[in-house]
Amino acid sequence: MNIDPFLVWLESTALSQWVVGSPSMFAFPGILALHAIGMAFAVGTSVALDLRILGVARGIPLAEMRRFMPILWTGFWLNAVSGILLLIGYPTKALTNPVFYLKLVLIATAMVLLVRTGRRAFGEAAELDASMSRLRRLAIASLVCWAGAITAGRLLAYTYTRLTMSH
Amino acid sequence: MHAFQVWLVAAINAHTPVADLMRTAWAWPIVESLHFLGLCLLVGVIGTFDLRLLGLARRVPIAAVHRLIPWGLLGFAINIATGALFVLTEPDQYIYNSSFHLKLLFITIAGLNAGTFYLTSYRRVFGPTALLDAPARARVIAAISLCAWIAVIICGRLITFYRPGPCFEEATSLLLICAP
Repeated sequence: MNIDPFLVWLESTALSQWVVGSPSMFAFPGILALHAIGMAFAVGTSVALDLRILGVARGIPLAEMRRFMPILWTGFWLNAVSGILLLIGYPTKALTNPVFYLKLVLIATAMVLLVRTGRRAFGEAAELDASMSRLRRLAIASLVCWAGAITAGRLLAYTYTRLTMSH
Repeated sequence: MHAFQVWLVAAINAHTPVADLMRTAWAWPIVESLHFLGLCLLVGVIGTFDLRLLGLARRVPIAAVHRLIPWGLLGFAINIATGALFVLTEPDQYIYNSSFHLKLLFITIAGLNAGTFYLTSYRRVFGPTALLDAPARARVIAAISLCAWIAVIICGRLITFYRPGPCFEEATSLLLICAP
């Protein structure tokens, strides 16, 4: 499937040209900053939950960690939106780079792991004991996925082969 | 201050073994990734504690959430180490960078703010008479902490957009933001 015409069209849109070309600090730099803030709260809160599952701060009742999940989801949606804006800005750079798809797969996996973790960790205390070892495996897998997603994200700046269609 | 900045860049001397290692093919991106991971650990843990002080998950004892803090400090240590690697490799890109100056300012604010918490609120938050709700002063400190760390992230992310160019005329700002 040839997506080149789609990339040419996307890069010609006013939104794409604003993201990339506007001299305003609220355009590309601001969106990047929001993407970093969202990452900190999404991944950071997920890591805090994983640490609790792995035995840190046992004084926190595991089910109570659910109170912090809205922070995680706020960070996630902030990054979904800011990420889509960055993608609209540089669609060719991302969509022609396999590392970008690896990043998406790792994020999707981390979020699936999170939902599964939540189902077990925030459920009834009785069934919790039995599933603690399963929860620990989920927590370790979550940490690995986030580390991979962040590394893949950072590598996007170094591994792209085409920046824009006109380059 | 200008003379100090020039001296600092010269003293760091970017041709050290550390800088040479950082210039190998994948060193810089890998250290950047570690810097981002440290950032998530730091802000995730400190942010969680700050939000507890602000009243989130108020049935959880504050002292219990505080047990996470050493992991936030680990994130901070990772980021001081990885951050130092960037500065030691490209000193002029940071020492003359206004966004980096602001980042250091906000890190200092966050540090002094955390120090204030332990000096003024420690006993009221963790002592035998500790309440479910943090005192107002601790809440203010928690709000400042969240804002300061978010400002640190913003300034850090913007460093690349404030790369210093060569100085064309006598700089009049407090700190040099161009490379003489």
